Parts: sequence; structure tokens; C-alpha cells
Amino acid sequence: MPLLSLRNVSKAYAGVAALRGVDLDVAAGEIHALMGENGAGKSTLIKILAGVVAPDTAGISIDDKPVTVASPADARRHGLRFIHQELSVVPALSVAENILLGRVYPRRAGLLVDWRALNRLAREALETLGITHIDPRQKMARLSLGDRMLVKISSAFLADAGAPARLYVMDEPTAALTRDESERLFKVLRGIKASGNSVLYVSHRIDEVMTLCDRATVLRDGKPIDSGLLTGITHDDLVALMIGRKVGEAYPPAGTEPSYEVAYEGPGLKLHKGEIVGIAGLSGMGQTEFLRSILGDPGKAWGAGVAYVPKERRAEGLVTTRPIYQNITLPHLQAHSLGGTWLTPRRERQFAQQLGDDVRLRAASPRQLALELSGGNQQKVVFAKALGGSPRLLLLDEPTRGVDVGAKFDIYTIIRDMTAKGMAVLLVSSDLPELLGMADRIAVMRDGEITATVASKGLSEETLLNLCYGRTAAAT
Amino acid sequence: MGQFLRRYGTLAGFVLILIFFSVRLPGTFLTAQNWLNITQQLSMLLVVAAGMTIVMVMGDFDLSVGSMASLSGVVVAVLFSFGWPIWAAVPAALLVGLVGGLINGAMVSLVGILPFVATLATLTIFSGAAFVVSGGRTISGRVIPDAFGEFARDGVPLGTFSVPNLTLVALAVLAVTWLLLEQTTFGRRLYAIGGNIEASYLSGVPVRRLKLMAFSLTGLTAAGAGLLYAARVASANPTQGSGLMLNAIAAVFLGTTMSEQGEPRLLATVIGVLILGVLDNGLTQLSVDSYLRQILVGVIIVVAVAGSSLSKTARR
Repeated sequence: MPLLSLRNVSKAYAGVAALRGVDLDVAAGEIHALMGENGAGKSTLIKILAGVVAPDTAGISIDDKPVTVASPADARRHGLRFIHQELSVVPALSVAENILLGRVYPRRAGLLVDWRALNRLAREALETLGITHIDPRQKMARLSLGDRMLVKISSAFLADAGAPARLYVMDEPTAALTRDESERLFKVLRGIKASGNSVLYVSHRIDEVMTLCDRATVLRDGKPIDSGLLTGITHDDLVALMIGRKVGEAYPPAGTEPSYEVAYEGPGLKLHKGEIVGIAGLSGMGQTEFLRSILGDPGKAWGAGVAYVPKERRAEGLVTTRPIYQNITLPHLQAHSLGGTWLTPRRERQFAQQLGDDVRLRAASPRQLALELSGGNQQKVVFAKALGGSPRLLLLDEPTRGVDVGAKFDIYTIIRDMTAKGMAVLLVSSDLPELLGMADRIAVMRDGEITATVASKGLSEETLLNLCYGRTAAAT
Repeated sequence: MGQFLRRYGTLAGFVLILIFFSVRLPGTFLTAQNWLNITQQLSMLLVVAAGMTIVMVMGDFDLSVGSMASLSGVVVAVLFSFGWPIWAAVPAALLVGLVGGLINGAMVSLVGILPFVATLATLTIFSGAAFVVSGGRTISGRVIPDAFGEFARDGVPLGTFSVPNLTLVALAVLAVTWLLLEQTTFGRRLYAIGGNIEASYLSGVPVRRLKLMAFSLTGLTAAGAGLLYAARVASANPTQGSGLMLNAIAAVFLGTTMSEQGEPRLLATVIGVLILGVLDNGLTQLSVDSYLRQILVGVIIVVAVAGSSLSKTARR
């Protein structure tokens, strides 16, 4: 009898499926790994379990009893405990307050907070993890990143008489921990397993998963690919399962060879005119910061022929309350005004129309507000803006994220057209097939630094992913 | 219907107010002379509200405009008492406004203090400075050059009427501000900052420099309004501009209810100022108690802004 059983869990965001009919069973007394590439749907699945995201369809049962999880409080009542990937703590509050965040504080005379009891509960939770060096009364802000993570984790072990814990869900809990701290956490997790409760464990660290977990379920593109025991399976088998074979992805072929003329040179990286260099790496390894460091002061960068397509198109790429044409000309107003001062809207609209056509933008008119466009078309506006100054270096951060297949191909075509004219492109992407399909060379980033640069020709996804995980390239 | 109300609700309300007063005050309200009076009374507020619109376009605001108006008034009066001529004292007082605005801008853009806090601090600083400069007294009488007060009383003849100079100054400030906000790269970039500061920065918009300039201009208009006020009453005391700030912010907010995206637009701000001014004028003529007038103005602001945000919420 499984402790947790999920049947046909589906979720789509604005028509884009994140989960398609996922089934998952976690037995009592096991540590179950949930694996998959970035964007495979792991986080969405966990958020549904946590009652944070409402699924489109889902059958959830715990101990064979069907339950509904409509809120985090529901999840807690059913014995589910979560450690989310994002380190969400309140730095201004004490360690104890962070551990008991969202819970009913112990009271004195039903009114005043019983601080002593609060600190005692927090200390007990910390001690479950064998942590004695953190004072529950300390301000969270004064702790190191690793200690904060430990506090976050220990909050899951807080005693709760009303709803005993059954299943611990952990999303990349060891990301900020030292080896010793991780080992201590694993000991606690094994203790949980021995007591008949279970753990659903999400991690990119395959070696960790292989030693800690009993079974694994692999998600790909929102579907469960395989589920089974981790004995008798190799590291490489697991990676192959996660990547799978991509079908139907098409990348326009490169028309020209990159030249030998250097377009940009920086720490650990050299770009040639007409070249596309990809940057691969696990999420949050400093890719965005790297692009920003090349961009430097955006005011000077745009003027010097460096264009930037940021990762978050709504938050960083567009002024959505303004018309398309004003977004496209924003970095180029100096050139598209009279003497840098007087606006010439009619000419701006012509210019925007031209660029919009170049990127196959589908919009009613350049006067349309950016917020009225679909995600793919919004991204095309960001591209049109980037291309408006005929840049010599184009910095792209996840340029096709959340973009539908058709618009993706258009964007790839634009990139190819521009490199044929001599533009150099730096392409950060977590989509490995995209990197392999588009880039001439691929640089791998770990912890903010480029650790390897390889030619993409003949490179397999497996080798690339291994490089991202910091393992030496397997000879192929 | 909701769409219509959101865009034109405030304008419709304005028309209703006009109709109401025209009916209740036949022969006095809807006369050219009354309207020239209204524009003259409103000239200071129009100038301050124009400056306020500039910073509010960026999503910021400036609480110090009222005390800056007081400060520039007493500065010009004190300079007169030192024997400075008008051509020197007026630019000097305007310079005080420019520098005060620059200080606001520097705190907001260079230091990164929230505009609310930064300009609240300068509100009391400018106000205190006005008391220090004037010695806490009202400066009036012979030290104020006759030409200074006469300018405010005079006008340019137009047929049988005379268009007050103050009205003309306000119109000129409005015209320049409109050109800046609607026709120049400066204004376009301010609107971009107001829409998405991060995206604007990443698109190469010099956010810090523009904030400095915008706050400086707001300070300049506040000082200008202070001079108009001092000229109109031919005297200066350290609190005479204090009512301008809340009315200016209220006028801009009333204006934002008329735009689709809730952006401040200058012409909408002018409508906002006119609503406040017409209410004041009409209710005074109906001899409604001035305290009741305040309550009514507050209620109208809440109704207009609530109406516009409710119809926005309903769309979601």
C-alpha cells in the first residue's frame, strides 16, 4: 500500500502543459527520488502537493484515502512537510520565529507570545538535525547561507501533535550545504525511513540520489518516463532517461562559418564574429550574472553595439504598458529622434514596423500595447528591440523560455540571419538540445566560472550534462 | 460600460459638476470673468501640479513642493528687502527651487531613499528654512517692489476682458511641461521608467540622471508657484505654500483615473486641477462652509480613484 499515490496529475500554464497525466507512488518507509531536467515539471508537481498551485486534474491519496490539497494548511494536516528550493526566510525575524513561521505561536494566558516555549520548540526542531551551534534567538540575517538552509530544513521537523508527519518533500535541500551538513541530513532522512515514514527527494546531484534513495521517478516534458528501483542502474542510464531523445525539434542550419576576427574577449571566453557561443550549466550557476557583467553599464553597452535579451521578458525586457514601437526604440531613441531630443513617432513606427516584420512579429499595429501580445510575440518585440541598433554582440538569456514552437523557430532563424551578417552571439540556455542545435561552441559554467569550453559538433547531450554536473567528459 | 466609466467617469463627473453649478449659480458661474478668476486662482496649483506630474510619471512623488513654494516666496521677499532688483531676486529664488529639487533627486536616485521618506524630510527642512530665512515673520509692505505685485494684478487685454498675467504664466508652464513629457525623448524615457524601471535600465535609459533632472524640474516649478503666490498677495510668509502639495497630488491622481494604464498625463492633471478649482469656486459662491468643502473634495477623490480601480479589478 503506497503512502502517497498520485494519479493523472495535469497542469497547464496559459495553454502550455507543465504536467501531463503524472502518476506517482511513494511507498511507506522509502526515500523516493524525483528527477528530470529543468522545466520537466518537478517543481510544479511539488507545488501542487503543497497546495500552492491548483492542478487542472489530480487524484491524490494518502494511505489509500483520497484527499484534496487546496492550501498549505491542508497539506500540513495530511502530514506533508516541505522544503522548497527557494530559500524563503524572513531575515529580520529570529531563527525560532522563522522555524515557526505560519504556525500558531505558543501563548501565555492565551494572549502573549510565550517566547521561552517558542525557543524551546525551535531548539528541539534544530536538534532533530543534530544542530546545536545555532541559537534560536539569533536574527536570521546573521546566519550564513548554509545555516539558513539548515534552519529552513529543521522547520520541517517541527513537532506537530495534531498532524503527525508522514511524507517529507525536499526540493534540492543540499544545494547550499557542506558535505558534513548533507551527511547529517541524510542520517535524519534514513531515520525517517526506518520509522515507516517517507521522503520524496528532488535533486540534480545524481550521485547523491544514487546513494540515498531507494527508487526514482523520472519526469520529462511533464510526463513520467520511468519509475523504478535505483539498484542495478548506472549514473549514465539515469541521465539518458532524463534527457530522452528529442524529436521534432528543428534548428535552422548555420549558413556561414564563424570568422577568426575576435568580437569579444573576456575572462575565460573569446567570441568571434559570426559565432554563437552557448553557455550551459545547472540553473543558478551564475549565467545571468555573467551576461550582466559583459553588459556592464547598459547605457554605454547599447551605444557600443552590445544588445541584451534578458531572462524575464515581462520584468526585465518590456515596458508592457507602452506600445510596441516605444519598446523597440527605447534603447535607440538617440538615433531615432531629432537631435536626440524631439520625438518623431511616425518614423519610429515605420522603423518598428520594419523590425517587427524582420522578426515575424504578429501584431495589429506598432501602436498596440506590449501587454496585449502573446508570450512568443512579446519575446519577438524584445528581439526587435535588441536588433534595432544592428549590434555586433548579442547577449541572450534563455531567449526561448515559455515560447511556443513556431515562435522558437522564428527566433532561431533571426539569430542565424544575424550571425551570417557577422554578429557574435552569447546564448545562455538551460535547454541542452537548443545549445547543441544552435551554438558553435559551448562553455560550461559552474559556480560563476567557466569550467570548460567545448565544440558543439559531435557533442552528445549526455556528455554536456555530465560536464554541467562537473563530471569529466565520458569518452564517446 | 465599465470600460467607458474607467476612461470617462472622471470627465463625466466634471461635466456634471459644471452643470450643477451653472444651474445653481445662474449668471455668475458660467461667465468669462468668473472663469478668468478661476484660472488666476488656480495658476499656482497648475504650476505645482505640472511639476508633480513630471515625477509621478516615473512612479515617484514629491511631498516637499508646498514648503518649497513657501521657501522661494520668503527668499524672494528677503532679497527684495536687501535691495535686490526683481531681475536678480526672481532667478535667485528659482535657483533655490532647482537646488532643492536636485537634493530630492540625489537622495532618491543616488542614495536610494524612498521618495516618500526623502521628500518628507525635505518638506520639514524647506519649511524650517523658510522660517529661518524670514525670521518667522510675514514680509510685506514697502520692501516688496510695486512692480512685483502689479505683475500679478495686471493682465493682457483681450476684447473687453483682461487675461491675468498669472494665468498666462501658468499656461506657459503647462505648454513647456506638455512638450517635455509628450514630445521629447526625456518624457518618453520618464514614462518608460514609470512603466518598468528595470527594463528601462537594461535598455540603456539613464535612470539616475533622469530622476535627478525630473526632481529638479519639480523643485523649480514649486519655487515658481511660490513666486506667483508672493506676487499675488505682495507679501511672503513661511507657510503660504503649504496647501499646494496635497492638492497637486490629488489633481494628478484624479488625472490618472482618465488614462487606460493609470499613467499620469499632463492634460488629465489639468482636468484634475480644474475639478478642484471649480468645486472651490462654486461652493464658495454657494457659501458652503470651507470645512465641509474639504470633506467633499476628499470624498470626490476617493470616489473617482475607487471607481477607476474597481472597474479595472472587474476586468481581471
